[in-house]
Amino acid sequence: MPESIPAPLIIDTLKDTFREARVALAAEGVRTRHDHLGWILSVPDTHQKTVLAALDKERALRVLTCSTEDEANAVAAGLWMGGEPFVLMIQHAGLYASINTLRGVAMDGRVPIFYMIGLLSREKDKDPRESRHSMVRYCEPLLDLFGVPHARLEGPDDVHLVPEYYRLAQKRRGPAAVLVGLETS
Amino acid sequence: MAMKPEDVLGVIAAARGDAVCVPTMTTAPAWRTIAPDDLSVGCVGFMGGASSLGLGLALARPDRRVLVFDGDGSLLMQLGSLATVAGAAPRNLVHFLFKNGVYHTSGAQEIPGGGGVDFVLMAKGAGYRAAYTIDDLAELKRRLPSLLAEEGPILVELHTGLADKTPMTAGMGTPFHQQVERLRGELTGA
Repeated sequence: MPESIPAPLIIDTLKDTFREARVALAAEGVRTRHDHLGWILSVPDTHQKTVLAALDKERALRVLTCSTEDEANAVAAGLWMGGEPFVLMIQHAGLYASINTLRGVAMDGRVPIFYMIGLLSREKDKDPRESRHSMVRYCEPLLDLFGVPHARLEGPDDVHLVPEYYRLAQKRRGPAAVLVGLETS
Repeated sequence: MAMKPEDVLGVIAAARGDAVCVPTMTTAPAWRTIAPDDLSVGCVGFMGGASSLGLGLALARPDRRVLVFDGDGSLLMQLGSLATVAGAAPRNLVHFLFKNGVYHTSGAQEIPGGGGVDFVLMAKGAGYRAAYTIDDLAELKRRLPSLLAEEGPILVELHTGLADKTPMTAGMGTPFHQQVERLRGELTGA
C-alpha cells in the first residue's frame, strides 16, 4: 500500500470533477452565478488535513467550513437547489454524528451528495472492517446499511474514484462516498 | 402579548417579494396555507437544519433574498450554525427566529433555558451583522421593509405564541424531495 496520497493530485482531481459537473449543469440548462468551479463543504478531517491546508490557497474552489456535518449536509441541499456543485469532506466520526441528516437530506431529499470521508486511525495492514478501532470498523457497514455506494481511496492510482462516485451520486440522485483510507500528503 | 405565528407569517408574506423562504416545524403548516405555490422549501426531518439550508440557497443565489423561518428549539439543535452563517456572511440572508420557548411539535415541552435564552445576543456574538427583537405585530409591519432590504446576515427574534397547527396535526405536506425538485427547477430553470 502507498504511504500517502498527494494533496495536489486530489485538488486537481476535484477541479476536473467540478469542470465536468459545470458542463453537465450547463447541458441541463443551469446558469451559474459564480466564477469559481465548486464548493468544498468541510468539517475538518485529520486524514485530509494537507488537502484542506492547500485549499486555503485555491481561488477556483470555495471552501466553507461548517460547525457540524449536519450543517454541511443541509448547506449542500441549498447549493444543489441553487445549481452549484459541491463536495463534502468529513471524517468517519462526522458521518456517525450526521447520519440522520444524510438520511433526511441526501436520501429522502434525493440530493446528490458526494462525500469524501477520512478513515482516521485506519491500519495500513488491515481491512477497515477488521480494524481494532470501532470508528474505522463500522464505517463501511453503516454505509451499507443505508444503501450508500462507497469505494476506498487507498493510493494515487485510485483518484479516478472521485469523479466516478461524484457522477454516481448525480445519476442516482442520492449519496455516494469515497473513503480516504490513508493520509494525504 | 406574544404575536400569533400565523399573523407574523402573513405580514412577511405580504412584504417578501420574490424571496426564497425556508420554514421549519411549526411555521411550515401555516406557511403552506399562506404561500401555497411559491419559492419555498420546508425543513422537517433533519432537526435544526433550516438555517443551513437557507445558507446554501443564499450562497448559491446571491441575487435572491433568502428568508429562514426558524424555531428556538430547532436552532438550539444546531446552534453552531450561527457561527457558520456568520462566517460565510451571506448578505442576502434574513434569519427569522420564532421564539415560543417550547418544542411545540413534540408536545410543547420547554426548551433548555425556556424563554430566557437570548438568541439576539448569541447571533451578535457569533458575528451576524445585526440582530433584533420584535414582540409586536405593528412594529414588525413598520420595520419589515427595511429589515428585508438590510445587508445580512441578520437575525430577527420574534416573540410568538403557539401556532394553531404543527406538522404532527396538519401533516408534513408535499414530500421533501418534491419540494427540492420544484424549487431547484424554479431557481435554475433546469
